[in-house]
Amino acid sequence: MNEFLEHGLNQNRRKFLSKLSLGIGGLALGSLMVPGIFDASNEEELFTNVLPHFAPKAKRVIYLFQNGAPSQLDLFDYKPLLQKMQGSDLPASIRMGQRLTGMTANQTKLPLAGTKFNFTQHGSHGAWFSETLPHIASMADDLCIVKTMYTEAINHDPALTFFQTGSQVGNRPSMGSWISYGLGSENKNLPAFCVLLSKGKGNGQGVYSKLWNNGFLDSIHQGVQFSSGEEPVKYLTDPEFIKRTDKRVMLDEIAALNQASYDKIGDPEIVTKIQQYELAYRMQMAVPEITSLQNEPESIVKMYGPECLIPGTYAANCLLARKLSENGVRFVQLYHQGWDTHGNLPKEIEGQCRDVDQSSAALIKDLKQRGLLDETLVIWGGEFGRTNYCQGALTKDNYGRDHHPKCFTIWMAGGGVKPGVHGETDDFGYNINSLPVHVHDFQATVMHLMGIDHERFTFKHQGRRYRLTDVAGKVVNEIIS
Amino acid sequence: MHFKKFIQWGEGLLWLLNPLLIILAIFNDSTKINLGLAWLGKFHPLLLHFPIVLGIGIVIYLVFFAHQRLAANLEKSLFVGNALLATLVALFGLFLSKQDAYDKTIVDLHKWGGVAIAFISWGFVYIGEIKINWKKGLGVVYLLVLLIFTHKGAQLTHGEDVLSLPHPAPAVAQEENKIDSNITVYEKAIAPILEQKCVSCHGTEKIKGNLQLNTPELIIKGGKNGNLLTGINNQEALLLQRIHLPNTDEKHMPPDGKLQLTLEELNLLSKWVKAGGDFKKKLNELANTDTLSLLANAYKAPKKGEDNNKNNSPDLKQYNTSYCTVYYSYFGSEEVFVDFFQGSFYKSESLKKLAPIKDKVASLNMQGMPLTKEDVAMISSFSNLRKLNVNYSKLTLNELAPLKSLLKLKNISICGIDLNPTTLASFIENAPFTLVHIWNNKTNEKEYAALMASNKKTKIIIGDNLDNEILKITNPVIEQDSSIIVNHLDVTLKHFMKGAIIRYTIDGSIPDSINSPIYNKKFQLTKSGTLKTKAFKPGWLSSDVIEKTFYKSEIHPDSIYFVTQPDKKYAGKGAKTLVDYELGEQNFSGGKWLAYKDSNMVFITSFVQPKQLNHANFNAFIDMGAYIFPIISIKIEGSNDGKSFKYLNEAKFPSLEKTNMFRGNKSFDCSFPANKAFKYYRFTLQNVKKLPVWHPGKGTPGWIFVDELFLD
Repeated sequence: MNEFLEHGLNQNRRKFLSKLSLGIGGLALGSLMVPGIFDASNEEELFTNVLPHFAPKAKRVIYLFQNGAPSQLDLFDYKPLLQKMQGSDLPASIRMGQRLTGMTANQTKLPLAGTKFNFTQHGSHGAWFSETLPHIASMADDLCIVKTMYTEAINHDPALTFFQTGSQVGNRPSMGSWISYGLGSENKNLPAFCVLLSKGKGNGQGVYSKLWNNGFLDSIHQGVQFSSGEEPVKYLTDPEFIKRTDKRVMLDEIAALNQASYDKIGDPEIVTKIQQYELAYRMQMAVPEITSLQNEPESIVKMYGPECLIPGTYAANCLLARKLSENGVRFVQLYHQGWDTHGNLPKEIEGQCRDVDQSSAALIKDLKQRGLLDETLVIWGGEFGRTNYCQGALTKDNYGRDHHPKCFTIWMAGGGVKPGVHGETDDFGYNINSLPVHVHDFQATVMHLMGIDHERFTFKHQGRRYRLTDVAGKVVNEIIS
Repeated sequence: MHFKKFIQWGEGLLWLLNPLLIILAIFNDSTKINLGLAWLGKFHPLLLHFPIVLGIGIVIYLVFFAHQRLAANLEKSLFVGNALLATLVALFGLFLSKQDAYDKTIVDLHKWGGVAIAFISWGFVYIGEIKINWKKGLGVVYLLVLLIFTHKGAQLTHGEDVLSLPHPAPAVAQEENKIDSNITVYEKAIAPILEQKCVSCHGTEKIKGNLQLNTPELIIKGGKNGNLLTGINNQEALLLQRIHLPNTDEKHMPPDGKLQLTLEELNLLSKWVKAGGDFKKKLNELANTDTLSLLANAYKAPKKGEDNNKNNSPDLKQYNTSYCTVYYSYFGSEEVFVDFFQGSFYKSESLKKLAPIKDKVASLNMQGMPLTKEDVAMISSFSNLRKLNVNYSKLTLNELAPLKSLLKLKNISICGIDLNPTTLASFIENAPFTLVHIWNNKTNEKEYAALMASNKKTKIIIGDNLDNEILKITNPVIEQDSSIIVNHLDVTLKHFMKGAIIRYTIDGSIPDSINSPIYNKKFQLTKSGTLKTKAFKPGWLSSDVIEKTFYKSEIHPDSIYFVTQPDKKYAGKGAKTLVDYELGEQNFSGGKWLAYKDSNMVFITSFVQPKQLNHANFNAFIDMGAYIFPIISIKIEGSNDGKSFKYLNEAKFPSLEKTNMFRGNKSFDCSFPANKAFKYYRFTLQNVKKLPVWHPGKGTPGWIFVDELFLD
């Protein structure tokens, strides 16, 4: 064979590299035919445009988060056996090697502690309530009490984060952010997700803004924390001599500049910024009208309790929550701190109940009498439960309880839930006997009530699709009316 | 053309086209193609047979003629030609797949098969002198890939049974030229639905799932999953199962993205199948009142190409304003929900604008809107309204009466509207309502008991009214953070309830509701003392007494000297901290506190001239949860030379109990003996040396936090 020909037919590095340039050309040509191949993906629209997936039972959520974990054994889950076995050690057959927190893991004895409070049954479902919650008990026929919640975390921060974002590790969007992202705001002059904080006198645990964080979602979906002072949203009033029309001109100019820099850089947060300025502009008109509690009739003030006029109290936040909710805020998230009763439980829990009992019940009554309860889901509960054994020394009328993730009670009302009592714990109030509800199941159910299929509601971030319920969660159909 | 030129050009083209192919294959779903490329796609079925034949030839050459090589340039030309053809066919295939909807799973298999064939063909160009057995193996693999994946393509165009035994040709559908009264249900209503929504994939052109729906015979024959019209084991018929699955289900028909069945069409198909799926039943054989007959008669077959889904769901954007939100209750729903917000911005036009969709509105929320009679008239035309909220709408019951004509309106809220049992009784009489919310300031349950008992059809929600309940008013607030009076101090009192009266005293007495001064504007304190205040309001019980002690700082030592040093973390601004008139905050690491744990707090104050003192008052912080305990005792000693001190007095304070987990500021006082003046005073403040057993830190010392000393 002709050597030149053979040389020509052989492949060598020079040829490979020169041909490779053609290959790159091919890739480039291909990328031209796929518009937006290098853009941030817009496919999320496909997921949000079809929302709600089905007819929602609730339009809005008010989540009364009892931060610190209220003791289910002293409020809802009546266990006479614990009173009978007062002081005896928690049987190993019940504990089953359960991991304890560092606060009681080294205790030589885990003495069972029965509740100090009297329990009575209320409503047509015979739900048990302790004497500390007379007002909530009076609403028993409106409540869906889930006695068999369980979670995975044993400490406050991960447990709270888990409840709010579906993951114990932070940086995922909060429930309210997901709802804001999926359903948007009903009232365009208010944020879709608002956060109100209050603090009881009991042993408190902090709440952090990561709990109402937007995570990887657009930051317009972040929860807007209202200040607990007299002015719930700060700096809403314009300085003197600035007219609203001037402000409009100013905002339009800023928006044009922002738009120009967005066109140049393409950072979606710039668009968010424009939207946030606009929202703030509209909030200037809406918020003072909505957040003023002064014009509430005395009858309402008496129903929530007179503290509801003192800014920053739980009662005031409940009243404010109703006002925000009826004005179209999708998700109002309250946190009331002070339920972490490791010691001195009887006294502390009485104080906490005084703070929340009347106003929580009043919120339900108020929504009901206005014809809004059927479209508003109210949720009341903490991040986990408390142990049936005593932390520290057990005396006749004083005890404390450690964290207990294996069972605890929350309740819901309105918004498509079926009143009644769901599930049952064992006689020790330690394990679940029937119908367990995992935190992800709870989240899936809330989503379902809002008309969202939690499995189809995802957001793609760093190459993976995320959802509130991670890879788990089953809708609890038994509690849906 | 010389082989050499052909090979050079061909190889170049392969290097260009194969990366293009892979990009387009990966991003196939988001690729946009123009008309020219679409036209090229049409060449796929034309060209595809060349590389198949050539490819099979190459396999035969590699496997059977391994020892009788062609001339090198001829062999390579053959390979390059084959690879070029295979690549072009695959590319054209991609373009073609964009134009028509095919079964996605088969398309995907065929696509990647095609890409594999193109790449293996390309690889042949470079196999050069590898071992003969390798070449043979590669040839066999190639053949298999070729046969399997080209067969997938054949299934796409010729149906899945393309290579199964032939079946007798279906009878040609008869022309529909019958008289209207004699028409069958199938012809009137079922065939047009199938024609519009199903036949494009289950017809003569494409036969997906081996199912054809264009003639009765073929429908009866069914597809690969068997009979369509009869259910097995009491299950619904297969056809009904498939069309009723949720849209996301893979087996839902028509597939996601295709034209969907309307509610009416779903109903028709269900009724027809459940009635036996009879192809012969004539429309006039059915009773006039029969649902199927009613549906079929009402059904209007869409014109070809018309999308009857879209017409039913108009875009709602135009109806939305900043204060009015209009939306479908869920995706795909026909029902529209409307919410108005913020009455002060209400405009009737927003409501009037809803006229085109007035039959779709199922829920309307107008709480707080200042409605007029015209608005009510407008609302009364929303014939499908189920739920209405007109709380606080500034209307009278009479003005709302036209709403009674809305036959579907079950749930109505009229809170805040003036009414009494008589007016309400006439309002709900002969009304369609089953639930009425009437709460307002004046309603109470007793008045309405008789009406509620006599009216079982309508449930009346009255709500709570606590107007007559007497509760305790909340406490007034003293708005002054500082408790130190330098010259004078402004004090503001505040109450959050409208109409509350605040009374106060500064002489230590308890404020009463008659004589004590009423607070109306801020006032000044000029000397030490305790301010007591209390709130009153008619109809309420009076509040607790709220008090706060103010100190006037009258005497300043000329210098202060620490004998024991405070903890480094909480050293404040040194000795100055004690007399800087600034009280520490609840956040005790804020740098305004002096803290001691490992020793008592000992310091000496000095005056240039001997000074006689009456009281020493310390402001301290206590937070037992954070190990900060009360001061145990304060000892005062005096001296004139600064060296030998003489005991003057000691004040002891009770330790707090566990039940009193106090957190906050507290003042500790110790008095001086009368008529004794010294230049130097030594203060010893003792901390808890061992925390009590009930405390988590039992046995370790407790902290004391001190920030201010007042002398007088």
